[in-house]
Amino acid sequence: MTMGNSQNLDRASRLPLLLLVVWLVLLGAGCATVRPEQRAILADPTMQFDAPSPEQAALDHTLDNREGSTGGGSVKGGGCGCN
Amino acid sequence: MRERAALRRLPGVGLCLVILLLGGAARAQVASLDVSSAFFLEPSAHSQLTVINPSAKLNVVAADWLSFQGNYEADIVSGASESLKGGRLSNVDIVTSATNFSDARHAVTGGFTVTRAATHLSGSYTYGTEHDYRSNGFALSAGTDFLQKNTQIELSYGRGFDQVCTTAFSAADAPSARLALDNSNGCFTDDKKRAARAISLNNFQVGWTQIWTPQFATQFVLSAALQHGFLGNPYRSVVIASAGDQALENHPENRARGAIGVRGKYYARGLQTAFTAGARLYRDTWAIFGQTYELDAERYVLPWLRLLVRGRYYTQTGALFWSDDYTGGEPESGPRGQYWSGDRELSPLSSYLVGERAIATLEGGRPGARIAGLFLSCNASVGFDVLKTNLRDFTLGGRKPDDTLALLGTLGFNGEF
Repeated sequence: MTMGNSQNLDRASRLPLLLLVVWLVLLGAGCATVRPEQRAILADPTMQFDAPSPEQAALDHTLDNREGSTGGGSVKGGGCGCN
Repeated sequence: MRERAALRRLPGVGLCLVILLLGGAARAQVASLDVSSAFFLEPSAHSQLTVINPSAKLNVVAADWLSFQGNYEADIVSGASESLKGGRLSNVDIVTSATNFSDARHAVTGGFTVTRAATHLSGSYTYGTEHDYRSNGFALSAGTDFLQKNTQIELSYGRGFDQVCTTAFSAADAPSARLALDNSNGCFTDDKKRAARAISLNNFQVGWTQIWTPQFATQFVLSAALQHGFLGNPYRSVVIASAGDQALENHPENRARGAIGVRGKYYARGLQTAFTAGARLYRDTWAIFGQTYELDAERYVLPWLRLLVRGRYYTQTGALFWSDDYTGGEPESGPRGQYWSGDRELSPLSSYLVGERAIATLEGGRPGARIAGLFLSCNASVGFDVLKTNLRDFTLGGRKPDDTLALLGTLGFNGEF
């Protein structure tokens, strides 16, 4: 068996474990129930994940041009869930 | 003839529709305006770079389920840059090859968002232009929330059709015989000494935000990008032979990039402060592996004023084909296959960033009251960041560049009316 095949097998054997972890995390997410009246803190701007503001976009643009990597940044989410 | 007259009326009909929609919006909320400007300065004795980045964004709510966005931004760049890259073994004076330049990029975006119950769909188009680069970008994103709004999923896809100006070499020309641009005169005209090269871009992103407790939330973001076309700098030459021979930077035409970001927000009641910690891993087919670690803290110092401080550390490996010097020596310095690059962002490096941002928020007081008779609420922000880069291997003819400290200031204003 070649080294490449052995590495492919290792990756293949890790896949079920990875899927199990993802499934458990999603299962845990389903158990997390924060009711609307408990979201006063989460509704505050300091606790929200925001899509990049123009100022943050300028900083991201600078970093994109000064580094060899990009992506994986913040997306809008969280908050009070009241809309 | 009648068809042509009808076609001529189409823009007018479209304008009337927009006015009708905006008229409907005027009765309720509303619109928001974001105006901001960023100032970037990279002090250096030889190649100081200054960038001013003003932008304005207008969001108009036409109906409960529909809003429109318009955005304008510019990059006004001036400074000097070394258009020739050589390393420790080069016998060319690289530093004095720095040439002054100035350019401006303008980009306009138009878009819409449709919101229905727990889902939303957004679309936008962006056109960007500068003397030597043009871009056309389309973006679509959709999001939904479920599990009592504790879980949010956001999917987005972007497609770009860009063009970059180069000298008029043909595909049959050996890469080592290709010349770099010395200026952007004649770009995107019928000038026979210039050519427009296509760049195709595909961007995908999935975001999963999860609320776990009344004071803890996490976010997981997966990004992927595919790039194809001319991916080098058309102005940059690299010394590729010990005799001093130079050729246009030669990068692979394909690049696949992927990143995973994980961040968590926690509100510490005792400190009355929201903390955010994040990590990001990046990998691409040019063999760059990047790691980013971020931490910030934000709290109210006055009921209307909040302050954020942040720190960030980044490190990356170099691209597979990157070398400080392509003229000889193995393996530290020397050729790396069929490609060569003078791009320091493809070299092994690390960077530190520290910064702060202050945000002041004003509201009208009683419901419906307006500030200055115009805004229901508004906020203003001022920020300052310092970025220090450590270039592990990159040199300009054996000398470490002195432009590795960058200062970034931002001013922003947001008003809702």
